[in-house]
Amino acid sequence: MSEPLLAVRDLGAGYGEMPVLHGIDFEIREREIVAFVGSNAAGKTTLLRALSGVLPHTGQTRFAGEDISGLPPDRIFALGLVQVPEGRQLFGQMTVQDNLLMGAYRRSGRLDLAQDLERVYTLFPVLKERRRQFAGSMSGGEQQMCAMARALVASPRLLMIDEMSLGLAPAIVDQLLDVLVEIRGQGVTVLLVEQDVFSALRVADRGYVLESGAIVREGSARDLGDDPEVQRAYLGV
Amino acid sequence: MKRPLARAGIVAAFVVLAGIPWIASPSIVQFGINMLLLAALAQGWNIIGGYTGYASFGNSVFYGLGSYGTAIAMLRWHLPFGIGLALGTVIAVIFAALFGRAILRLRGHYFAICTLGLAEVMTAIVSNLEITGRNTGLVLPLLRGDVLFYELSLALVVVATLIVAWIAHSRFGYGLIAIRENEEAAAAMGVDTTRYKVLAFSLSAAISALAGGIHAYWITFIDPVSAFDIGLNVKMIIVTVFGGPGSILGPVLGAFVLSGISEVLSTEISTVAGLFFGAVIVVAVVFMPRGVADLIRRFDKYRWRYFAENVRANRL
Repeated sequence: MSEPLLAVRDLGAGYGEMPVLHGIDFEIREREIVAFVGSNAAGKTTLLRALSGVLPHTGQTRFAGEDISGLPPDRIFALGLVQVPEGRQLFGQMTVQDNLLMGAYRRSGRLDLAQDLERVYTLFPVLKERRRQFAGSMSGGEQQMCAMARALVASPRLLMIDEMSLGLAPAIVDQLLDVLVEIRGQGVTVLLVEQDVFSALRVADRGYVLESGAIVREGSARDLGDDPEVQRAYLGV
Repeated sequence: MKRPLARAGIVAAFVVLAGIPWIASPSIVQFGINMLLLAALAQGWNIIGGYTGYASFGNSVFYGLGSYGTAIAMLRWHLPFGIGLALGTVIAVIFAALFGRAILRLRGHYFAICTLGLAEVMTAIVSNLEITGRNTGLVLPLLRGDVLFYELSLALVVVATLIVAWIAHSRFGYGLIAIRENEEAAAAMGVDTTRYKVLAFSLSAAISALAGGIHAYWITFIDPVSAFDIGLNVKMIIVTVFGGPGSILGPVLGAFVLSGISEVLSTEISTVAGLFFGAVIVVAVVFMPRGVADLIRRFDKYRWRYFAENVRANRL
């Protein structure tokens, strides 16, 4: 079997004196949708920050055959590991289209940006309607779409999405989940970090459960969803 | 500037400006030097304050370092002016790069306050060093050549403006604008924010230091209080905000217009002149927060509604 797209061995990270993550081991293969679920303060966001290089960490991370532990964030980004940050982080005073174009910031060579834009506009038709509007003036769901679209313009190999469903109506969340399945079909691997366990496991192939900074359960999304322990702890049943 | 007419206008304005010292009276040339140096300083501030969004009060420090670097090289080591100017600029850039790495982690008010402190500290240090002439300052050799200083200052404005024009349309500049609009988002899009901020700060420092060096040799006397004057930094900010922060020609325009008005006021009614800059900043922030550059761009479309729209956007 070929090398996984992302392989993480014994990752540990924290803020100052306080350790948050310890002994994290996992792999993500090409074209998978993998969900990391867990309650508040389980270390989900910290994990993404460590992977994207923003937060120093111990252990080894390999991405697309390269050792990325210790690389600066912009280099990791350039390799195709792109994060959709929690809280969308759009350029609020810039138009939707300019936000999307910022996604191509790190790309070089001759680009067919019109085609890239068309591709993400097909995924999110509402963004096309709003392309001349300030990104900050849209609804939460539309902003989340804009953040995801912007990340896609960066042509990621692995898209990491932090709390995609945060503060969004269930109908919008469903729509976004469908998009994840669609972009996987276009060859993008997805790492989804979610508090909303139920939604995340619905589209994911596999999942990991984080608790107090360690992986406590892993398995196929179906198994995890059926696991009485997971259900009890996170679904309230 | 893609329109050929606008480009021709700028070139014509430059030719007129370059010709002024050969026909105008000495007092106008002296006014011109001050105005051009302020324009250059504003353009330098525009890089870190206007494009990157970091309100620096440290540019007067770079100005002072440029002044002292030039003066020390000429007086103590008997080096020619050009080498002294280069030395002062290098010192300022090194200073900006070293301190920038540390203080550019601070944002908003904290960054502003920290750079404000920098200026105070520099005044204290320079007042106590033998090589800088302690608090009596330094007297440079006299060179009677206002025309030369005028043309040098004009050249500095042109170079600074060309640098800003390049920034406005380069990948580097887009990175700076992204940092200004949302630093987290910029980092998430692969902008190496620390390196870009330090580079912008250093570029800004280089321009300020060059202006400081030219001014020192022209005025032939520098002391710690006037070289590291916070008031000068405030002027750079006012002029830039009035002209249009984050625009290519705004700061230069702002410096020309405000220097002109302030000069007329201080000769006609000197008591009002002091209030002038304060009043300008209040009016500019309320009615045209994006400066004259933006006003010119949009006035055709909005007419007088432009000011009302800005007042409403400010929620005043």
